[in-house]
Amino acid sequence: MTLLTDPLRARIGETATYTAPEPLGRAAIRYFALAVGDANPLYTDDAAAAAAGLDDVVAPPTLICETNQYVAGRPADAEGYLGHSWHLEVPGTRLVRGGNAYTFHRHVRPTDVVTATWRIADMVERTTGSGQAMLSVVSEASYANQVGDRLADNRETLVFVELKKAAQ
Amino acid sequence: MSALALPSVGDAVPPLVRTIALPDMIAYAGATWDWHKLHYDADYLAAKQVPAPVVDGQVFGALLAEALQDWLGPQAFIRTLAFRFKNLVFAGETIRCEGEVTSVEDGVIALDLRVVVVAADGADGVVVKVAAAPCTAEVVARPEGA
Repeated sequence: MTLLTDPLRARIGETATYTAPEPLGRAAIRYFALAVGDANPLYTDDAAAAAAGLDDVVAPPTLICETNQYVAGRPADAEGYLGHSWHLEVPGTRLVRGGNAYTFHRHVRPTDVVTATWRIADMVERTTGSGQAMLSVVSEASYANQVGDRLADNRETLVFVELKKAAQ
Repeated sequence: MSALALPSVGDAVPPLVRTIALPDMIAYAGATWDWHKLHYDADYLAAKQVPAPVVDGQVFGALLAEALQDWLGPQAFIRTLAFRFKNLVFAGETIRCEGEVTSVEDGVIALDLRVVVVAADGADGVVVKVAAAPCTAEVVARPEGA
């Protein structure tokens, strides 16, 4: 079974850019830290940030890569998802997350207006040990603020796994 | 303000243990603007034959970062963090973030990490399954202006 068709292959290199409509803001940072259960005062306490030599409170490092808040102005899809998606159709498969590799360049501040730029970096088809075809789609996102400071990069792998045939 | 204290090769990251219940998952879904039904909707899950709400794996990145930042202190800057998912984690399960220092060279602390699901809520809990591994991180003293 070939999952990596020519129409899919043609999409390697495609990009998508999203710019947040407002600065990240202290409330979004506090909410994320609270939701995760991270009580580090660098994220909420001016005095703690200043004592550490920072000019402002900062965001937990992975917030910028985990949030979908840059994607503004469109509703969630039928499954409730409103984040970035390439809307790849790979018939006869189910989608699973492979993993992420983040690189952080600087702490994100409440005043940062984030632009996320996504790119389809690669698609690779393999066969699992049990004989199922799987297609790995590697996407790369880079995040920058309104003055062009690089904030972070995110290499994300999504895997389309061939559905098992009827029980044998 | 103090400098970053460097750990030694082989030092263990103090384990971070967290039970992730449905309200935590809903809070995280809101905080990340990810309202996918996989994380909370019983009817959707039943139709997909998924046994329980699925914890958004992205949160393991946040928890690994929390474990490292808490351990190494405010001068530590996580430069890289990578994780690969192994098994789904379901609402109500308890995860543990753990790992060791694999090298300390030129001020770069390299770590091998993993996220496991444990049977009980405690650092000595028996591992039921691996949620994410291998995971790696590099931590440095916060660069000027970062």
